[in-house]
Amino acid sequence: MIKITNLEKVYRTEEVETIALNKLSLEVKQGEFVAVMGPSGCGKSTLLNILGLLDDADTGSFVFNGIEVVNFNERKRADLRKHNIGFVFQSFNLIDELTVFENVELPLIYTGVKASERKKKVDEVLNKVQIMHRRNHYPQQLSGGQQQRVAVARAVVNDPKLILADEPTGNLDSSNGNEVMQMLTELNEQGTTIVMVTHSEHDARYSHRIIRMLDGQTVLQNIMV
Amino acid sequence: MIRNYLMIALRNLTRNKAFSFIHITGLGIGLACCMLIFLYAKDEWTFDRFQAKADQLYRITCSIVEKDGKESRIGASAMVQGPAFKAAIPAVQDFVRVQESDHLIRIGAETYSEHVAWADANFFSVFSFPLKSGNAASVLGDQHSVVLAEDEAIKYFGTADPIGKIIELEFNDTFQPFTVSGIARRSPQNSTIRFGFVLPFSYREAKEPESTWDWLSYPTYLVLAPGTDPAAVTRQMNNHYQQVNSKQIAEMKSLGQGSFTWGLQAFPAMHLDPDMYATSHVSDPAYSYILSGIAIFILIIACINFINLTIAQSIRRSKEIGIRKVVGGQRKQLVFQFLGESVLLCAFAFVLALVIAVLALPTFNQLANKQLSLTYLADPLVIAGYILLFLVTAFVAGFYPALVLSGFDPVKTLYNRVSAGAGRNLLSRSLVVVQFSLSTFLIIATLFVYAQFDFLTHKPLGYNDHNLLQVTAHKDGDKQLMKLLKQEFSKLPGVLSVAPRMNGIWVTRSKANEKDVEVLIEHIDESYLATMEVPLVAGRNFSPDFPADSTRAVLVNESYVAAAGWKDPVGKKLRLNQDKDQLEVVGVVKDYHFASLKEKIMPQIFSQGPSMPFGQFMIRISPDDKARTLAGIGKVYNSLVPFRPFEYDYKQDLNFRDYESEQRWKSIISFAAVITIFISCIGLFGLATTSIRRRIKEIGVRKVLGASEFQISRLVSGNFLVLVLIAFLISVPLAWYAASSWLQGFAYQVQGYWWIFPVACAATVAVALLTVGSQAFSASRANPVKSLRTE
Repeated sequence: MIKITNLEKVYRTEEVETIALNKLSLEVKQGEFVAVMGPSGCGKSTLLNILGLLDDADTGSFVFNGIEVVNFNERKRADLRKHNIGFVFQSFNLIDELTVFENVELPLIYTGVKASERKKKVDEVLNKVQIMHRRNHYPQQLSGGQQQRVAVARAVVNDPKLILADEPTGNLDSSNGNEVMQMLTELNEQGTTIVMVTHSEHDARYSHRIIRMLDGQTVLQNIMV
Repeated sequence: MIRNYLMIALRNLTRNKAFSFIHITGLGIGLACCMLIFLYAKDEWTFDRFQAKADQLYRITCSIVEKDGKESRIGASAMVQGPAFKAAIPAVQDFVRVQESDHLIRIGAETYSEHVAWADANFFSVFSFPLKSGNAASVLGDQHSVVLAEDEAIKYFGTADPIGKIIELEFNDTFQPFTVSGIARRSPQNSTIRFGFVLPFSYREAKEPESTWDWLSYPTYLVLAPGTDPAAVTRQMNNHYQQVNSKQIAEMKSLGQGSFTWGLQAFPAMHLDPDMYATSHVSDPAYSYILSGIAIFILIIACINFINLTIAQSIRRSKEIGIRKVVGGQRKQLVFQFLGESVLLCAFAFVLALVIAVLALPTFNQLANKQLSLTYLADPLVIAGYILLFLVTAFVAGFYPALVLSGFDPVKTLYNRVSAGAGRNLLSRSLVVVQFSLSTFLIIATLFVYAQFDFLTHKPLGYNDHNLLQVTAHKDGDKQLMKLLKQEFSKLPGVLSVAPRMNGIWVTRSKANEKDVEVLIEHIDESYLATMEVPLVAGRNFSPDFPADSTRAVLVNESYVAAAGWKDPVGKKLRLNQDKDQLEVVGVVKDYHFASLKEKIMPQIFSQGPSMPFGQFMIRISPDDKARTLAGIGKVYNSLVPFRPFEYDYKQDLNFRDYESEQRWKSIISFAAVITIFISCIGLFGLATTSIRRRIKEIGVRKVLGASEFQISRLVSGNFLVLVLIAFLISVPLAWYAASSWLQGFAYQVQGYWWIFPVACAATVAVALLTVGSQAFSASRANPVKSLRTE
C-alpha cells in the first residue's frame, strides 16, 4: 500500500539545518498495523505527515496504492487524503466550535456525502465508539478519553484505507489508552491499514511490526509474533 | 457545507463577544456613514432630475467679461431674451421666466411677508410640478390668478377650499387682488425651483415692462426640441443678440463696459455650479467629495480593524484550519468559508448600519443642510448602491484574512507551531499606522476648523457689532419717511444713535489718480460712522455745517486710498462711474469688515448723494432692557409704515450667519474625528488584548526576573505608541496641506496655529495610551506564577 524510497526531508532556518528524514525507505502492506518508535526528533512525526500528504519530502519517492504522489499538488493531495486517509492525533484536535456529531460529520461534508447519508454514517460510527449519548456535546465538555474516541470516530467515518495515528494515547490514562488501542486493533482486524507513531512499548505491542528510527533513518524492524 | 460554515461562524461570533462587538460596531458605524453620505451624494447628483423634460430644459446664462478680463457668470436674463430667442431660433420650443421676490400679502385684514415666484403661464406645463387642483395649461392664464402650494393653502385657508379666494399682494405700494386658481403639490426638496405662491409673470411684465437686454434679473429657462445640440443654439443666440443689439454693444464697448456672451446650462447641472450667480439652493460639489472621503475614511478604518483582528486572532482558528485540511478541505473551500464569515458579519453590521442611519438621519440632515427622508431608502438606485457597498465591504474586509488563514500549513497548526503576529507582523503594524494617520489627520483638521472658526467669530471687525440693530425700512425712495423714522427712533429711550444707510450693496467703478478702482458705495449720513463706531484716520466726517457735502464730498476708506495710490488723500478728487462731476475726498475712514472675513476689505466710498436711496437703519441701542427698546422701535415703525411687518436683526447675529456653513463643517468634521478615533481605538483595544494574551508568558518571565509593573506596562504599550507616533508624523504634512488649502478660501486666516500639531499629537497619544495602557497595566499586575502555569 505504501512504498517510500530514499525519502529525504531537511528543515532549514537561517542558521540551522536539521535532517528530519535521511534517505528513508519503507514499505507498508495493505492491512498491516505498523508502529513507529524512536526518540524525540528522530523524524517519526515528519514521516507520518509525509505519509498523510500533509507535508512534502525534498527528494525520494512515495508510492501510495501504486501511484507516485510526491509531485501531487494541493488539490490532488486533499482529494487523495479525504478518500483514503484518517488521522488520530495525540491532542485529539477536535474543533471546539463544533459538537461531537458535527466534528465527526466534517470529513463526510468534504467528500460530498448527502445529509441523510451523513447522519446515518455518523450515528453508526458514534455507536461503534460508544459516544452516541454525547453526540450533541462540545469537545470541551468531554473527558480526554471521550475526545479521543470522537477523534477515532472522525478518522474512520469515511472508511479510510489507512489510519495514521500520532501518539494516540499520549494524553490519556492507561485505561482510556487501552480502550483506544483496542479500537485501533479492531479497525485493523476489519482491514484498515494503520501506521502509528508512539513512545509507548505497551502500545507498540498491539502492532504487527515495530519500526525503530534514529536520526531520520530506520535502524531496526521488529516483527511482532 | 454552507450550514456547517454558518454554524461555525455564528458560534465564533457568540463565543468572542468582545471581538464580535468590535467588528460589528466598527463596520456598522462605517457602513452607516457611507449609507448617509450615499444618500447625500445621490440627492446632490440627481437634483432636479425628477423634471420630465430635464434633458430638454436649459437655463440661459450670461458671461460678462470686464475690460480687465474678469469674468462673472450669471444664471439670469433680462425680460426679453426668452421671447426673442423663441421667435428667432426654431429649436427653442418654449421659454419660461421665473423670478422669485419677497412681497407683502394681505389675506383679510392680516398682512404677511412672503417669498413668491412670478412665472410665465406655461410654468406648470413645462415643469413637473403636479397640481392638486387646477389645469396646468390655464392655471396662470389670468393676470390676476395665483397658484398656492398645498402647505400655504393649509397655512392660510385651513381645511376650506381656497380656489376662488382672494389674496392681495403689495405691488408698488398698493395691494392688488389675485384669485386662487390652483393648488400645487409641495415642490420636492431636490428641486432648484421651490415655491409657495406662483403668480403670472404677465402681470409683472404689464406693470413694469422692460426692453433692455442687460437688466439680468429673471432666470429664464428654454425648452429645446429633443436631440438639439445646445452649442448650436448658443451660437444662434449670440448671433441674434449681435444683430438686434449692435448699436448698444458698440456703445458699451466705447464706454469700456464688459461684453455679454449668452450661454445655455443644462437644467440638472445648475445645482452643482456654485460659481454661477442667481441659483437658489446651489451646492458646491466639493461637499460631496469631502463627505464621501470622510465616509470612506471611516469605512477603511473599520475594515482595517476587521483585517487586523482577524489575523491577530488567527492562532485561535489555526487548529480548525489544520483539521479541515487534514480531513480533506481544500484551500479554496477555506477561502470561501472565511469570506462567508465576513459576509455574515457584514450582514449583522449592515443591519446595525441601517438602524444607525435611520436614527441619525435627522442629525445628519441638520449637519448637511438637507431634508433627506427615509422614503429615499426605497429607491432602486439606493438599494443597488447599498447592496454593492455591503458586498465590497465584506470582500475588502474578508479577502486578505481569508487568504492568510486558508494558507496555514496544517502540520504547523496541529503541532502548535503557528506564529501569527498580533500587532507584530509588518502588515498589521502598517494598517494600525494607516488607521491612526487617518484619525490624526481628522483631529488636526478639526482643530484647524475650530481655530479658524474662533478667529472668524472673534476677530475685531473694525466696528462694534454688539447691541447694533439692522432694521429694514423698505420704501427706499421715500426720503421724507426716512427722515421721520430717524427722528422718531432717536427720541426713544434706550436708542443711543440712529444711522440710515442704503439697503443692500452697490459695487461700481471709480476713477482716482488716473486709476480705475472698483468700489463699494455706501450711502450714509453724518451719523453713520459714530453709530457704527468706526474711526476716521484723516480729514473730517460729513457735517450739516458743510451743506455742499451732500453733492460734492465723499469719504473713502484706507483700502481706497491704497488702491488709488494717494499719499495725502484729503482734498483729492475722484469720479464715480462715467459721471462728469468730480467728488472731493474730505475724510478717510479706517478699514472695517463690512462683509464676512471670507472677503477682503474692498475700497469703499461713503457718499451722501441726494439721488441715492436709504432703506435701512443701523441703530445702536443700550444693553439695558433691550426688549423694551425693540418694542418701542417696532411701534414707531408700524405707526409710520403701516402694513409692513417690522423686520430687524442684530448685526452680530447677521455676522454669525455668514459662517453658518463653517459652523456646519465644524460639526461634521468633529463628528467624523470622534467616530474615526472611536473605531480606531476599539481596534487598537482588540489588538492590544490579543497581543498581551500572546505575550503572557514573556510578561511572566520578565516579572520573575524582576521587572516592575511600570516597566511591563511601558513594554506592552510602547510598541503601539511607536505606531501612533509614526502615524502622527505621516498625517502632519497631509493635514497641514489640506488645512492650508481650505484656509485659502478665506481672505483672513487664523495665524500662529502651530500649537495645533503638539495638541493633536498629545490627544492621539493620550487616547491610544488610555486604550492600551489599561490592559497593559492589568497584565503587568497579573501573578507571574499563574501566567507561566497557563502556558
